[in-house]
Amino acid sequence: MTWWKLGAALAALVAIGTQDRTPIWSPDELEVFRTLSIDGLGPPPADPSNRVADDPAAAALGRALFSEARLSSNGRISCASCHRPENGFTDAVPTGHGVATGTRRTMPVAQAVYSPWQFWDGRADSLWAQALGPVENPLEHNFTRMEVARVLGTRYRGQYEQLFGPLPDLSDARRFPRRAAPAGDKHARNAWAGMAAADRHTIDRIYANFGKTIAAFERTLPVRPTRLDRYVAGVTGKGPPAPFAPAEAAGLKLFIGKGRCVSCHSGPMLSNQGFANTGVSERGGLPADSGRADGARKAIADPFNCKGAFSDAKGGGCDELEYLVVGDPRQVRAFKVPSLRGVARRAPYMHSGQLRSLEQVIDHYNRAPAAPRGTSELKPLHLTRRERAELVAFLRTLDDAEGAGHAR
Amino acid sequence: MIGFPTPAAYRSRPLRRSCLVSAILIPALAGAAACARPANLDLSLDRPTDHLLFRVQVASGSQPIPLSKVHQWSLHLAAADGRPVTGAAVGIDGGMPEHGHGLPTAPRAEPAGTPGDYVIKGMKFSMTGWWVLKLDVAAPDGRHDKITFNLVL
Ligand code: HEC
Ligand code: HEC
Repeated sequence: MTWWKLGAALAALVAIGTQDRTPIWSPDELEVFRTLSIDGLGPPPADPSNRVADDPAAAALGRALFSEARLSSNGRISCASCHRPENGFTDAVPTGHGVATGTRRTMPVAQAVYSPWQFWDGRADSLWAQALGPVENPLEHNFTRMEVARVLGTRYRGQYEQLFGPLPDLSDARRFPRRAAPAGDKHARNAWAGMAAADRHTIDRIYANFGKTIAAFERTLPVRPTRLDRYVAGVTGKGPPAPFAPAEAAGLKLFIGKGRCVSCHSGPMLSNQGFANTGVSERGGLPADSGRADGARKAIADPFNCKGAFSDAKGGGCDELEYLVVGDPRQVRAFKVPSLRGVARRAPYMHSGQLRSLEQVIDHYNRAPAAPRGTSELKPLHLTRRERAELVAFLRTLDDAEGAGHAR
Repeated sequence: MIGFPTPAAYRSRPLRRSCLVSAILIPALAGAAACARPANLDLSLDRPTDHLLFRVQVASGSQPIPLSKVHQWSLHLAAADGRPVTGAAVGIDGGMPEHGHGLPTAPRAEPAGTPGDYVIKGMKFSMTGWWVLKLDVAAPDGRHDKITFNLVL
């Protein structure tokens, strides 16, 4: 084939690809599309357990603390080390790197505001309880709550006290050891165990408040419209036409139809905010991970949960925790159904970064392998090669990089 | 070659097709849906139990039934002769038969104070579609029966 012929053929292809051949969608399909649109998202759900959740001063302090590297044993790790804004608040590695390398993949943050449960196993029932985990995780910040209280006292005293009242005097090293926490290394644990119960309670309270400011900041992170949102607005007459390429439209049809993706990736976040075992393999060399089965028990035992002493929800408002499912065999190796917003920029995929690319993800769903433990909810899809490519093309329309922020 | 879908791929297919029809017409899909919605789903929320021992009436406390939000339902339990049954233990289960998953929460029924009345706390539906609500009723006299309600959100 000569060059000009090839060029003409390519031009023809591009013409087909960009033509507005808007498919004729059924009323049922349009109804499903509407449920996926960002228009249905609304503001973040209220958090009665966090009194300062929507306080701008708390959000400002939380923003500073989110990237405060002094909150780590080596002075180099902050939340933002792993949750990097330019990677959709993730880090592009299979499992997070803090002070050492962790066992799970870093999750995006803006989307988390809309879920009742945090982490891949949902072991925290609020954003503020979640924020307390990485700080004392020896592989992440490797810090202690006592040290957090000190950093707040030396660096953020004014901002903190305006929100929560006076910080106690922590200068008595016998009452308040330098490094102390109920978890972590033996030294820190012993120091914590040696403290008076009332002093421990004081530090726990400061630690909880620290988490609440971070949560307030996270609640201000924008969730941005994607090409899917503009497409749905177009086909439902809510906005100007924003056509999909034929492969993208076909992928959308598969997503809500033959692929059955929408049975879990539903609603404006493309997540039902539930947990499912999808037969993802266990990553070699890591400790066994039972997912939600352990996460549900941990959430109940967490002293920083919605019903705990540091929660601002008094007399109700903890329904998710109150009616939590525990001990269901279907929870074994069930992991949080992630939002798919911005998914194309977040490789690698799954709870330990087991799959490198969206192509591998679709291949996984197509084969529906048996779960290493528990039972996978998936069934083989029998997708053709073309259909698999179409699903990938559709997932790429969920990129939120372009366009204006979703007003909050 | 880049795979463009044929125009046929665009033609709308009804989303809600019955278990049987998809099994026959599209063998590839037969295994995909755990069980698709039967054609004539009984959506009544006031019905006798499976073995006609009781009559159960349920209603969502919020209308329309809220999505992804924990809320309450009311339940009235009567014997076959219409007399209210107080002091029964009511077990609650359910889920989405088409998707093979259970309820996202573990709701509990508690006595509401008036004869035969109960309140179901902790109900939540995480998506639109066909849900079943399965109740297991054990009356204080030892009689025991079950009922499955259908809801379409
Ligand atoms: C070493 C890398 C690392 C650091 C540092 C880190 N995270 Fe994470 N983050 C992760 C990983 C990995 C997960 C998933 C962990 C799990 O499921 O056990 C996660 C999960 C989360 C989630 C849950 C999202 C969801 O949808 O459930 C939030 C929110 C979050 N992190 C916020 C923070 C905050 C706030 C900080 C700082 C206090 C922080 N992270 C520090 C790696 C990190
Ligand atoms: C039974 C519920 C369920 C169904 C059906 C389902 N997913 Fe998922 N999806 C999940 C869960 C749970 C995870 C995380 C699993 C893990 O990490 O072990 C996930 C992860 C993903 C991820 C990786 C996201 C990330 O950030 O790591 C993508 C992409 C994805 N799903 C796309 C799809 C597509 C496309 C379909 C349809 C072909 C589909 N899903 C069907 C539950 C489901």
